[in-house]
Amino acid sequence: MTRREFIQFVLKTASAIAVGAYVISKKVSPRKFIRAVRNKKYPGSIKQLSNINTQGKWNG
Amino acid sequence: MRINIDGVLRTVVHSYPCSLHIDPVEKKPFFHFLPGTRTLSLATVGCNLHCKNCQNWEISQANPEDSQAFFCPPERLVELARTNQCTSLAYTYTDPVIYYEYTLDTSKLAKTADVRNILVTAGYINQEPWKKLLQYVDAARIDLKSISDDFYRENCSATLKPVLDSLVLTKSCGVHLEVINLVIPTLNDKPEQIGELVRWVKANLGNDTPLHFSQFYPQYKMRHLPPTSAQTLDMARRTAISEGIQYVYIGNIASRQGQNTYCPGCKKLLIERSGYTVLQNRLKEGCCPDCGQKIYGVWK
Repeated sequence: MTRREFIQFVLKTASAIAVGAYVISKKVSPRKFIRAVRNKKYPGSIKQLSNINTQGKWNG
Repeated sequence: MRINIDGVLRTVVHSYPCSLHIDPVEKKPFFHFLPGTRTLSLATVGCNLHCKNCQNWEISQANPEDSQAFFCPPERLVELARTNQCTSLAYTYTDPVIYYEYTLDTSKLAKTADVRNILVTAGYINQEPWKKLLQYVDAARIDLKSISDDFYRENCSATLKPVLDSLVLTKSCGVHLEVINLVIPTLNDKPEQIGELVRWVKANLGNDTPLHFSQFYPQYKMRHLPPTSAQTLDMARRTAISEGIQYVYIGNIASRQGQNTYCPGCKKLLIERSGYTVLQNRLKEGCCPDCGQKIYGVWK
């Protein structure tokens, strides 16, 4: 192995290890943000929109 | 409110409010934000806190599968607000943080349609999503339930620091802010506890931030405690005023002075209220008509 080939081997190996470590760390660390997508179906029951021109009975 | 289906996180309450009403903005309560206007108020079921004293526990502690809801996507909400002459949409009753995605999508749309967005929340949220939402928000009324972390842990299944951070971020982002404190007998009604809370508000949010003290009424898992007395609420108001807070109100109880807005400069009456009704509003361009002092708020 020439000196040039040895340096190329070291660089390739190091970069492969770095990329692998990065990918693995991204997979194992929890994502900081995840946006939930809208579910089309409501698990409860659906009612018709009634008169909204009344004050809410709830606080706030 | 969110479920993992095949590795995809889904929100099941998006577009499904369980409650939708037109309220006066004073009911939220907002006393320094477009007084006398109507706000289309909505909530989905659920809450990220579990307060033992919750006054809306029937919807805040409910599961979607046990509840009834309307189908009302963001476009429909904005349309309803406009056709019913509501100047704002209020995300309220439970907590807009629990239906964050719905709040965010609706807020974006409302902003483009010239409908204001107001949040009624406990402010228990991380800073990054809060900052993202605040871009579209015109006003926030945030609960500061106590200045004690133990109180939050024992009574709300939450912690204090995220709430304090949300309050500071809201004010620093230039969003109109009003703070409310529910005074609960034996838990957070000591003069020193109220004094500490008031001093924190003054030091971190400024003395112009409106502060509401609200009467506790026995509810949910705190039916063993009595309602807050008028004397205790008066004491809280006096404490806040003596510490230099300019606008202090009392809610959930009849109080003549505790419902009105007075000029911090000349002490003259500016806005007179009775319940949720504005009897007179003497403000001129957001200023006191007598001494010209600018009054904190959104007035047009």
